[in-house]
Amino acid sequence: MSLPLLVIALLNGLVTGVIYALIGVGLSVVLGLLNIPNFAHGVLYALGAYFLYAASQGPLGFWAGLPVALVGVALVGAAIEYLGVRRLYRVHPDYVLLLTFGLALVLTEVIIIVWGPVGITYRPPALLAGTVDLGITLYPKYRFAVMVVTGLLVLGCWLFVEKTKYGAIIRAGIEDKEMASALGINIGRVFTLSFAAGAGLAGLGGALMVPIHGLLPSMGIEILPFAFVVVVLGGLGSLPGAILAGLLVGVVQSLMTVLWAPAANASVFAMMALMLLVRPQGLLGHR
Amino acid sequence: MTGPALRLLRPGLLVLGLVLLPLLLRPIVAAEVLIFAVAAMALNLLLGYTGMLSFGQATFFGMGAYAGGLVIRHWEASLWVSLLAGVVVGVGTAAVIGYLCIQRLGIYFIMLTFGFNQMFYFIAYKWTDVTGGEDGLPGIPRPPVTLGPLHLRLDSSEEYYVFVAVAFVLLFYAMKWIVESPLGLVCQSIRENPNRAAAVGYNVTLYKWIAFTVAGAFTGLAGVLYAMLFGIVPLDAISFITSGNIVFMALIGGIGNVYGPLLGAVALIWLSETVSVFWHRWPLILGLALIAVVLFLRGGLAEAFERVRTAVAAARLGRQAGAGKEAA
Repeated sequence: MSLPLLVIALLNGLVTGVIYALIGVGLSVVLGLLNIPNFAHGVLYALGAYFLYAASQGPLGFWAGLPVALVGVALVGAAIEYLGVRRLYRVHPDYVLLLTFGLALVLTEVIIIVWGPVGITYRPPALLAGTVDLGITLYPKYRFAVMVVTGLLVLGCWLFVEKTKYGAIIRAGIEDKEMASALGINIGRVFTLSFAAGAGLAGLGGALMVPIHGLLPSMGIEILPFAFVVVVLGGLGSLPGAILAGLLVGVVQSLMTVLWAPAANASVFAMMALMLLVRPQGLLGHR
Repeated sequence: MTGPALRLLRPGLLVLGLVLLPLLLRPIVAAEVLIFAVAAMALNLLLGYTGMLSFGQATFFGMGAYAGGLVIRHWEASLWVSLLAGVVVGVGTAAVIGYLCIQRLGIYFIMLTFGFNQMFYFIAYKWTDVTGGEDGLPGIPRPPVTLGPLHLRLDSSEEYYVFVAVAFVLLFYAMKWIVESPLGLVCQSIRENPNRAAAVGYNVTLYKWIAFTVAGAFTGLAGVLYAMLFGIVPLDAISFITSGNIVFMALIGGIGNVYGPLLGAVALIWLSETVSVFWHRWPLILGLALIAVVLFLRGGLAEAFERVRTAVAAARLGRQAGAGKEAA
């Protein structure tokens, strides 16, 4: 493998990696807080992509699409929590899982009905079109922008949860719901807002990927297992773990695509299997 | 009704149901119902009796189907050898995947079964030389039944239905025997309270692993029967949609009840057959049905029957009380 090819694969891996991290952070918070694996998380990512596509048909184009995807999908997430998940807090978590799985199927079908089953290609905005010269190779400007902006965003999420008062409430909720509730925290509102925030981040992630991979109704369900791997690798409720695992999964997947393409996806799961044998609690998990 | 008569009632109803099924649905669809009922039965052992929700049963279903299909296609294997191949591959895959997944509990377990399912799906999708990829693995004839002097062909749908129905009855009673055996009782104690089961001295992890592997055997066998059903293994057989279908059948039938999976399979496949006439996008219907069941009917069909029965009994009781009052 030549050096430029390796560099490109590594950079591509980091781009997908930060997106995985962004999705993983939201999934991890919802998982830790609500104790459910959100099977709808993938389709929320897809929904974000399609919201961007719809909004960018307007005069502001791509730049209007990003906030629309973030806010729109966050609202969908809030609705899912408020109308569905909330009604099931007292029953077995398996039912919540089935609810989110049902929602994933329905929302994918809704995307197909509204935007059609065929994939759509999408160009990066004019401002970020073209390439950057790295000396050894050229690299698309847009991907650089995604890497930097998403990286900062993920870092911001981490700092928010670690350093702010609201973050402390979220961490308290993850640690012990009853105790947090007994201390006067409106845990129901924390659940709704966290679910909405996790959904919004997934939606934004999907929107950011549109100029790179285009749109496909199955894009949500395709990314879901990787989001799960990220959370399992990172460790329960550990945001730095999810971020690290996201980057790792992205880079491994991308390098394997260059080395031996047919095994690129399978290698990610092999990595998860290995982790389960050696360190079942994940990279930075405690339990 | 006296004791022995009551004991014969349920098997009698089961046989009656199996006779009526191919008359109500087309024989080939009826066979499909029973094949998925076996897979749902295996999930019921995990979810209903051991308390483990596996969201990756299509892994073993698909692997069994590919194993059976490949030995028939390339080696012209007999019926028994191809069924055995499905069981062996189902057991082998489930033993490995199960060992990895039971390292974690609850939601992690579910995510892992789903994750590994997707891994096998990706492999099947990419490894087109062996699996046919997206086009499926076609050209799988049904080998004849050979048992001593017996030599039966399974070419028609009716013949194949009879064979599947006999297999179903055997597997049904095998599963009933398993869940009522000491092994099944330990599994149920793990479902109720894993910590207490461990405290009493049972190796919880080992029993979970055994349950997972046994379920893999049943599911792998169901996979082979499925491969022979239409003579092709579609890529869908190993996809998460199939896993979702299996979970849904167990759920809508009512988990932790030996008859639940059969009811669920009948309901789901009847629904898909009926709905596909005017709406060809099945996942939308499955999704809506799942949401409805989870929000409004968590005990599944078994609970719905129970509710109707209670209501009828209450009405009868009310009538009797009313009659009593009038007499007085």
